Amino acid sequence: MDHPSSQTLEVHCGPSLGRTFIASIAVLIVGLAVLFMATGGGQSFTTETLRRQQVMAQPQRIDAFDVTGPSGNKTTLNALLAEGKNEGGNEGKKLWLVDFVYTRCQTVCSSLGSIYQQLQTQIEERGLQGKVGLLSISFDPVNDDAAALSAYASRMRMNPAIWQIATLSKWQDRQRLLDAFGIMVLPAPLGEFEHNAALHVMRSDGTLIKIMDYLAYETALDTAIAAASSSSYSYSSSVAGHDSIAAQQGLSATK
Amino acid sequence: MTRLQRSKVCLLRNDRIQMTGHSQAQRHKWLAASCSVMAVAFSVPPMRSVIEQSMAWHMVFQMPLLVLGGWLSARALSACFSMRGWASFNQFGLTGFMAAQAIVAYWMLPSAIDRAVVLPSVDALKLLTLFVTGMLLADAFRRAPGALQLFFMGYWVSMMAWLGMYLVTTDLRLCNAYSLQSQRNTGWGLIALGIALGTIWAASLLRKKASHTP
Repeated sequence: MDHPSSQTLEVHCGPSLGRTFIASIAVLIVGLAVLFMATGGGQSFTTETLRRQQVMAQPQRIDAFDVTGPSGNKTTLNALLAEGKNEGGNEGKKLWLVDFVYTRCQTVCSSLGSIYQQLQTQIEERGLQGKVGLLSISFDPVNDDAAALSAYASRMRMNPAIWQIATLSKWQDRQRLLDAFGIMVLPAPLGEFEHNAALHVMRSDGTLIKIMDYLAYETALDTAIAAASSSSYSYSSSVAGHDSIAAQQGLSATK
Repeated sequence: MTRLQRSKVCLLRNDRIQMTGHSQAQRHKWLAASCSVMAVAFSVPPMRSVIEQSMAWHMVFQMPLLVLGGWLSARALSACFSMRGWASFNQFGLTGFMAAQAIVAYWMLPSAIDRAVVLPSVDALKLLTLFVTGMLLADAFRRAPGALQLFFMGYWVSMMAWLGMYLVTTDLRLCNAYSLQSQRNTGWGLIALGIALGTIWAASLLRKKASHTP
């Protein structure tokens, strides 16, 4: 029996079949539990859907970022988002639809651009200027200087009362910004970038409350307004959850 | 048998094999080592950039190579460690198949692949678990009757083919870490891999059957 090769010839029966059965069931249960947890309860199979599910469950406070606008004006992301509050002394802008672009983009951002144009028209027609704002943030601060932003703004026929554009003042903040929103940018041929694109609903206090597919832009305004009104109840309890998504979004920390 | 005795047996067997000159076991060890080292090398710079940029190299090359490395290592080192304790919990290789199934299913999740690309700790976990999967499968296939093998092989081959077709046809980018084109290439790769694995398995089963029939 000491010879190792004889082990393969052993015939098991009786108790070992029962043990095998129990062990298999245990392995199955552990495996299913891991898969269940890794998919956010069997709902999200991609990083993108996990990110959306997580933000929906727990609004995320976004850190401070120094940004620059198309006229070279320097401000912070939070100040930019809070800006609407002072307008007309009313309750001010409640929320923003934020997207990420780079102005040289020919592919997905140009379709995002035309979607933003349609959203701008919708906001004008429905008189929602005081309620919803549009903000495009460039994640390519090296190429997108104030002049590039201003050219993009006029090409897109942005109405500055509704639609704003800004880029990071410090290029070193780029990865931190992308991580905060869960965006992954890949270099693509011809100096382009490929990245996950979506509509990010943010409140004027700098909180990310929902991420929507940009293809659902026709109903985006209503969805965003509904999300904002329901999120105000859960807000105070959810700020503490910020660290956990930072860890989850640390996903792209090493890129 | 104590650990010391076991390692002696292992060494003795190796010596005996070496002395016979034509050493198939030695060749198996070299093959196992080179497969494993090559698979792990894809997770370490400078080779790492290959799996960071190409989903196909990651999913259709590195991951299967890890499993193969584990499989060959288990075969090559089977003389060195006893699986007896494990065997009574693993009749017909059923538990091994189940564990392999769970591990493989996890690493087919796009979110798990993304995490392996950006987080080195998750990548290390991938190396370890897929290598172990290979070891489990080598043991399980030795113990399992044809019908049980067919059950699991049928499942894996159809899963690879299905996932492959989905990756080829969808316009939805599933991994944030990879481009759509890379995803399409991976789809074709998975289909090819599924067909290849199914064919190899069927051929080996037929060959075994032929050698058993007088």
